[in-house]
Amino acid sequence: MSGSLIGKSVLRKEDHRFVSGKGRYTDDIQLVGLTYAAFVRSPYARADIKSFDVSDALAAPGVIAVLTGEEVAKDGLGGLPCGWMIHSKDGSEMRQPHHPVLAADRVNYLGEPVALVIADTQLEAKNAAELVMVDFEPLTAVVNPATASQAETLYEAVPNNLCYEWELGDEAATEAGLAAAAHVTTLKLTNNRLIPNAIEPRAALAEYNSGTDEIILHTTSQNPHLVRLIMTAFVQIAPEHKLRVIAPDVGGGFGSKIFIYSEETALAWAAKKLGLTIKWTADRSESFLTDAHGRDHVSEAQLALSADGEFLALKVKTVANMGAYLSTFASAVPTYLYGTLLAGQYRTPAIYVEVDSVFTNTAPVDAYRGAGRPEATYLVERIVEKAAAEMGLDPAELRRRNFIGRDQFPYQTPVALEYDTGDYEASLHKALKMADYNTFSARQAEAEARGKLRGIGLSCYIEACGLAPSQVAGALGAGVGLWESGEVRVNPTGSVTVLTGSHSHGQGHETTFAQLVADRLGLPIEDVEVVHGDTGKLDFGLGTYGSRSLAVGGSALSVAADKVVEKGRKIAAHLLRTDVDNIDFDAPVFKMIDSNESKTFQEIAFAAYVNHDYPSEELEPGLAEKAFYDPLNFTYPAGTHICEVEIDPDTGVVEIIQFVAVDDFGTIINPMIVEGQVHGGLAQGIGQALLEQAVYDDTGQLITGSYMDYCMPRADNFPDFKVGMTCTPCTHNPVGAKGCGEAGAIGSPPAVMNAITQALGGIEIDMPATSEKVWRAVQTMPALKTA
Amino acid sequence: METIELKINGRKRTLHCLPNATLVEVLRDQLHLTGTHIGCDTTQCGACTIHVDGDAVKACTVLAVRSDGSEITTIEGLAENEASHPMQKAFKACHGLQCGFCTPGMIMSAVDLVNKGCAVDPAAIREGLSGNICRCTGYQNIVAAVLQGASEMQEQSS
Amino acid sequence: MELKQQLVIPRAVEAVWQALNDPEMLQHSLPGCQHFEQTGDNAYDMTVSAKIGPVKATFNGAIALQNLNPPFSYEISGEGKGGVAGFAKGGAKVSLKAVTESGEPATQLSYSVEAAVGGKIAQVGGRLIQGAARKMAQDFFTQFVRRLCDDETIELVIETIETP
Repeated sequence: MSGSLIGKSVLRKEDHRFVSGKGRYTDDIQLVGLTYAAFVRSPYARADIKSFDVSDALAAPGVIAVLTGEEVAKDGLGGLPCGWMIHSKDGSEMRQPHHPVLAADRVNYLGEPVALVIADTQLEAKNAAELVMVDFEPLTAVVNPATASQAETLYEAVPNNLCYEWELGDEAATEAGLAAAAHVTTLKLTNNRLIPNAIEPRAALAEYNSGTDEIILHTTSQNPHLVRLIMTAFVQIAPEHKLRVIAPDVGGGFGSKIFIYSEETALAWAAKKLGLTIKWTADRSESFLTDAHGRDHVSEAQLALSADGEFLALKVKTVANMGAYLSTFASAVPTYLYGTLLAGQYRTPAIYVEVDSVFTNTAPVDAYRGAGRPEATYLVERIVEKAAAEMGLDPAELRRRNFIGRDQFPYQTPVALEYDTGDYEASLHKALKMADYNTFSARQAEAEARGKLRGIGLSCYIEACGLAPSQVAGALGAGVGLWESGEVRVNPTGSVTVLTGSHSHGQGHETTFAQLVADRLGLPIEDVEVVHGDTGKLDFGLGTYGSRSLAVGGSALSVAADKVVEKGRKIAAHLLRTDVDNIDFDAPVFKMIDSNESKTFQEIAFAAYVNHDYPSEELEPGLAEKAFYDPLNFTYPAGTHICEVEIDPDTGVVEIIQFVAVDDFGTIINPMIVEGQVHGGLAQGIGQALLEQAVYDDTGQLITGSYMDYCMPRADNFPDFKVGMTCTPCTHNPVGAKGCGEAGAIGSPPAVMNAITQALGGIEIDMPATSEKVWRAVQTMPALKTA
Repeated sequence: METIELKINGRKRTLHCLPNATLVEVLRDQLHLTGTHIGCDTTQCGACTIHVDGDAVKACTVLAVRSDGSEITTIEGLAENEASHPMQKAFKACHGLQCGFCTPGMIMSAVDLVNKGCAVDPAAIREGLSGNICRCTGYQNIVAAVLQGASEMQEQSS
Repeated sequence: MELKQQLVIPRAVEAVWQALNDPEMLQHSLPGCQHFEQTGDNAYDMTVSAKIGPVKATFNGAIALQNLNPPFSYEISGEGKGGVAGFAKGGAKVSLKAVTESGEPATQLSYSVEAAVGGKIAQVGGRLIQGAARKMAQDFFTQFVRRLCDDETIELVIETIETP
């Protein structure tokens, strides 16, 4: 039976509860004695807090307590830390301003929490929050990242508002490449700031049992163990073994629920301090203000080419906005998840990148689907396409000339990574075919005859996923190892409970991981149950982000399942009175090699728990095996995305005519789920290209703070996507998987913008390509002026 | 406190609520029908969509007292006596959901579209669902699910 | 947000100036004004309820009249806090010029307003502020002129000088 489930579009085990309204998200949980919290937030981007007056709020109906930043300071709570140390060019450590759980004397971004009101009902908590009088003295805010290093200093210990000035690559070799070039293409661009917008707002429910001194925190997290670690080791609200963190059903994350925020931390602290059970659920406005935002880069790049289009060197200078504080992984995003990807799929021999990360009075910026890799891909794929246009080369042909060949792996890039495998030509070829690339000019002419502008754009992306080999991550500054844990627990009746440190919030782990283990053990998938998201049930886990769940978490389960088989062989050998070497596992049967005798998996499971004649010195009872899998390298999913657009020059409206995505994710367990991940990623990537942008005004007010002003992709914004796959299995993990969660968001924005740029005759606009921007660009097109 | 009577998922209920309580608050907090979700505060996302007297309604923007005397169906009551409504089956069969948070509202909107004869082709479905935001699926499999669910609903009623 | 507008009032400059300094006149002309109290020379506390887009809030604030140059110009500056709805602050320069209309002495009143909002109003209603400010100005001056002329039928024509 082994091999019968891998690669099958098994329908999802988790879906029945979701389609029938039986999902259990944090806000759905009702407990006896529940109280409710509301946060008081700064209406200013930057202000001094002169005083708090909570007397009116305390006197309001239903109010139980009001806690402010002053109590947080009094209780000596630690700040919220950033888990990745980056060193500047000069070797100095990045600068990390204190990030208080609740601000006491200075607020640094709009919406920063300063106090917490707890009341019997949600309405009473919200009403009383309005009565907390905070005397703010507004200060001038620094909003624009591009000029932040010349602006007023926000933190004494952070000169020029610079978190770090980082570099990677060989500057001299890159300059030499530029000097020797026959052609140099330059590009300036902005990677627009985004708001993640998981449809379930963040929420937390903290309960404290004074009898056991235990806090149980339910929260919307992609990695509950990390929540526990940070709250206990850094913020120090409780000892680690007295805090249990549960991430129940979580309604989407996209990165924004990786991080440890003020709200759930304050709730856990308050629950213990006051002996209460407290719930808080963000309203959408709070999500807009305080979920960590994504992207927000300003970059300049130069690509040096030889006369025949060979890439000689790439030089990049980027300013990355960190927002007001360093969020949990913020510092890694524009550095090791960005600079290291600037080789793309190409043999560019010399690359040099400088990244200045700056603080501004805006919400913290951290990983959002793709995290650094979309920014790298956007830059590389825009400049490559621009170079092709400038040199009069077909953009597909220019890429082909520079691809790392399929026989050149493993390939060491000049920016630290070693790609293990890939076949870029195969993806490109397939995508061009699916998009009818060769006949595009006929479609363009036909559109032109109708007065429309057509363009087609390519993007050949690469990403580094499967975060991450702990040794490498540690050497680069990560505060934790990035392995994953898994346990395959065989129950006495032969069903299996699988425990994983990964967390599913839409990815379908309950199905994919069950498929993987059921396949390995030869069991029906119904007999395998996946458990995740509870520090009370699992040893430790590092959660889900960076397209790591299957490549790292799945690999841990694969190793654990192998261990179960090994133990099963020992048990079978004992039962069959033979040597272990004489037992073969032909899933789901343990067979004697030299006879017809065998034991089923169920017999072995039962025997593992009820047998009374074990040679106890050689064989422990039970059949449950754990594995901690630490990857040897990153994985490198790659592919080609092609977008064809049509622009109505009268309105500037961009219509996506077709979108083709061909991806190489290595071995695929469940193609249906993988395609779904691609669709979702594409919607977010195309959303970034056409619709989405977080805008702060000059004073730091967020003016895209609701769904009326922040344009979310909706069903009628897209055509059906055409999705194809190629496969070069990952060479260094036992599953062969590379990860698929982020590819859509990484590959698609440059494909869309390259198509628009082509349709506009080379006029460059920044994302999002709103109809207004496109229309204004059309007005400057020479062809139209003369028409 | 106001007293209202609602028929919810086939069962008559008498409820006491504040005059400013929204219908979704009453459903979630008093009746523990937590399948109806709250995703925004501006009636934009559709996660709270239910049926009131046969029409799809965003329950975050309706006062509970305004619904006095109404017949309400939530995701929990959609399947009536069966295990699953055809639209629920279609969402499962077509992988029309990922995190599941928008799904109840999406299904309730989809059923309404079919009932009103507006789920005739993919373009109509995309337009008809533009009041429901999904951040996970890119909508493609939702559209496929609604097409399949629509044809199964039509078969069932014929 | 900036707004520059002008209008002509069929009363002499001195009368208009006097009315502009009359707390009762201001209070009754200000839409949504619930409370208006003089706290010092040219300083007032007030409570105003306003609706910007979907956000309705009651603002508690103070205004001050400055740089008085009777009877030709003054500046109003103020700031109001609307609880969780956020805050609004701004100022207006008001100047008067004697003109004639149908042979009668009249006053050309021009004003330029600068306003900023923060918090939820900016987040949810930001793009509606220009419109809301215009409407507020229209309502204010319509009431003001009607009271001043004691004529409820006056339809005011306000001319926008320049908008950004």
